[in-house]
Amino acid sequence: MATPTVRPRRPSQRTKHIATGLVVLVVAWAVLTVDVRIERLPDLPAALARIFGRMFLEPSPEWSYFPQAFGAMMESVQIAWLGTIIGAILSLPLAFFGAKNITSRLVSNIIRQLLNAIRAIPEILVAVVVFIPMVGLGAYPGMLAIGVHSIGTLGKLSAEVIEGIDSGPVEAARAAGGRPLQIQRWGVLPQVLPEIVAFWLYRFEINIRASAILGAVGAGGVGEALVQSLVYRRYERAGMLIIVIIVVTILIDTASGWLRRRIIEGGSGGTLDPALEDRAHLSMAMAGTAGGETGGDAAE
Amino acid sequence: MTAASAQPGTRPRRPPRSLIGPLALLIFAAITWWAASEEFGLNFDVPRLLTNLTRGAGILAEFWPPDFSILPRTVDPMLETIQMAVIASLIGCAVALPIAFLASRVTSPNLATYIADRSVLSVVRALPDVLYALIFVAALSIGPLPGILALVLFNIAVVAKLLSETVDGVDQGPIEAARATGANRLLTVRWAVLPQVLPNYVAYSLYAFELNIRASAVLGIVGAGGIGNLINEFRRFFQYDRLTVVVIEIFVLVIIVEWFSIWLRRRLV
Repeated sequence: MATPTVRPRRPSQRTKHIATGLVVLVVAWAVLTVDVRIERLPDLPAALARIFGRMFLEPSPEWSYFPQAFGAMMESVQIAWLGTIIGAILSLPLAFFGAKNITSRLVSNIIRQLLNAIRAIPEILVAVVVFIPMVGLGAYPGMLAIGVHSIGTLGKLSAEVIEGIDSGPVEAARAAGGRPLQIQRWGVLPQVLPEIVAFWLYRFEINIRASAILGAVGAGGVGEALVQSLVYRRYERAGMLIIVIIVVTILIDTASGWLRRRIIEGGSGGTLDPALEDRAHLSMAMAGTAGGETGGDAAE
Repeated sequence: MTAASAQPGTRPRRPPRSLIGPLALLIFAAITWWAASEEFGLNFDVPRLLTNLTRGAGILAEFWPPDFSILPRTVDPMLETIQMAVIASLIGCAVALPIAFLASRVTSPNLATYIADRSVLSVVRALPDVLYALIFVAALSIGPLPGILALVLFNIAVVAKLLSETVDGVDQGPIEAARATGANRLLTVRWAVLPQVLPNYVAYSLYAFELNIRASAVLGIVGAGGIGNLINEFRRFFQYDRLTVVVIEIFVLVIIVEWFSIWLRRRLV
């Protein structure tokens, strides 16, 4: 900590201090005023041990229940698959309209705000508020809710991919006399499709998790059985269901992850191979900066 | 195929077509058929769906106008939702930090720890947050505590995974420098790795917080505290005009938190 030579003065840290102070205030408020019955916490290990014991050890998971459990999980996978397709189909045109280099700034801003708004509402809420009242209980509302919610993230990520294209092929298509739609089809789409398809697969992985819980509100899939088994304390069934969910989810994740890497490497000459997932996460982590500004770290 | 209308003189020969594209399309079609078919899947039927949707559209009218008279009743559950998200983020992100370092090849002390940590993380990530809430509700009965615990697990899974991948990619120079000065593993992580990944850590934590706000709004549907309890009540009694109020509130909350988080990210990172 000793300063051996003369240092340049530190840049002002005022806003940083204000920000830190705000965070501390919010955290203190939450911790001090929340009404949790913390005295229950010591019971937790024993209660969890009892539940997990009954799920997986004594009595063992109900293996005879496997066919129903697997069938219910497959329904969740189907809901996720069709939901992702709905989201992909609807998000693609929106992504084109949401890319600044394709449309005007005004249009792309409006579309981006729309996509942000869609993203803000969790799919379980979309199911409860829009689709279950409209089409009744079952797999349909789950699929539609997943489809609509997926538009938000898929549209945003795809629009960002489109904004990052090389303008050469677009100019070439225009110079060759392509009409607007042909320019998009031949100048833009081939450049962005591998990455966008990879996002679709990635979204499918997320949607499997989402559809596994949609049953909690009656929107089909494995969640319904899971909620029933936990509410009625049939833990040996719940154990079976949890095993099926974990195994199927991890298997599909692995397959889809492998496929995504293949698509990205094979599709663009191997220059883009850093794990897509990172970039997907990252751009989602930075999702808020959709306004158009990039990287504020150099400024402050 | 349509762009070939103008024929230029001689064309270069097409490279031989690979079979991967058609094969992928075939697999895609097969899965879609399986998922949509009547005997194996959801019996997906577009015309029927459209009639269902148009018939159901009338119900949407019941959502409007919103019944703002219940606004006072929503205040406490909304605040509880925010509290759950804040506390869970705090605990989850703090716990995720050491777990992330143990789950990266660069900083993990040995292969066994690395593999064990990674496997546990991928199992934790495979299960959705609402399931954790269900289990914790079964263990501790209803209230915000099971909700917070569920969110903590979810946070650990997300932040530790993202951060461990970032740690995998750090610049090796500072690590070598720290080792050369005789620093032990902990000191190396503290002075050579942590400063490199700190901005990412803050960004991931804020991202997790945003996810938490959305998640904690719905956890109450399974009894884990927050505004979700009210959602459940209103939908059970078909009080759609009241449900609209809750949805508007969640929407506004999520947007505000997103702005706040962008602002913070710019100040802190």
